[in-house]
Amino acid sequence: MVPLMLQEVSLIGILIFFAAIFYLLKKKVLLLKYTLMWLFSGLVMAVVVIFPGLLNKFSMLVGIKTPSNALFAALIFIILLILMSLTSIISGLSVTNIKLAQSVALLEKRVRDLENMPTDMKQQKSS
Amino acid sequence: MSSKPCKVLVIIPACNEELNINNVIIDLRRKVPEADYIIVNDCSSDRTGEICRKNGYNYLDLPVNLGIGGGVQAGYRYALENGYDIAIQHDGDGQHDPAYIKDLISPIINGKADIVIGSRFVTGEGYQSSGPRRLGINFLSGLIKLCCGVSIKDVTSGYRGVNRRFIQIYAAEYAQDYPEPEAIISAAMYGARILEMPVVMHERRGGTSSISAWKSIYYIIKVSLAILTYRPAFARRNP
Repeated sequence: MVPLMLQEVSLIGILIFFAAIFYLLKKKVLLLKYTLMWLFSGLVMAVVVIFPGLLNKFSMLVGIKTPSNALFAALIFIILLILMSLTSIISGLSVTNIKLAQSVALLEKRVRDLENMPTDMKQQKSS
Repeated sequence: MSSKPCKVLVIIPACNEELNINNVIIDLRRKVPEADYIIVNDCSSDRTGEICRKNGYNYLDLPVNLGIGGGVQAGYRYALENGYDIAIQHDGDGQHDPAYIKDLISPIINGKADIVIGSRFVTGEGYQSSGPRRLGINFLSGLIKLCCGVSIKDVTSGYRGVNRRFIQIYAAEYAQDYPEPEAIISAAMYGARILEMPVVMHERRGGTSSISAWKSIYYIIKVSLAILTYRPAFARRNP
């Protein structure tokens, strides 16, 4: 059986985790879109702490002898999922980044061409 | 063949090419004076940008380094915005000889091809790349043939010409990192008629190549993966 003390400490830890997420959300440091996965993992942790029996059942189900090992395996899996989603977010960002850099270069050239144009031609173009 | 003359743009990606860029432009102007060109200065840390500015060259200045894929794509976007009919990719390191540009253009003008690739291996003259690299190129060439049925010998050649339709396609979507083989696959998926024309390439005159021997393994794995995954990804996006 999980000692009550451990359960309490874990629960406090999870509360701090949620508080940190909401604090960052409030400060608009995190986008809600990307916090969902953290909230989800917090939820999983909370369920495991409140119902430790689930962990025993889970470890028996997948055939891991000690529940703590099952916990580690599950943790690593969730962390992998989060890392993968981070990679996909970064990939999306780098695509938009490339597009933006190209647009900046194209606009910079147009500005440069306009600046180098003789004034009478500039007037012609604007009229 | 249309009656109005074709507007041709030569896209010259250049990253740290202060030793070569002048010669490339002088050579280009002498051999193909009728074509426009755009240098894409990929955030060079040397004097490439300064040389372009001082000589009044036509150039784009990328604010951050995007690599060859992003740089060439910027050139295609420029070609699209300015209404060019044909775009030629031509390296800024002196490996390519502008004299072949007319060979790359003519099959496109005659409507025989959508994309023309300047190939070192059709006649086997000039710089043929080193042994291990040749092996890698042949491997990728076989893989591309297997995956999409087009038979191209020089899949890594960055000397190519494309028509208006593929200027649009490449402006919207172009492979990054090592884009040449992947660009062939994507073109084939869009139903391009791809033709290889013999060209003679030089060994680079100065500076260092973008692909060191050390990175070759990464290159082969990355490009193979790109080729293998392109077809299913394409089918999903364009059902």
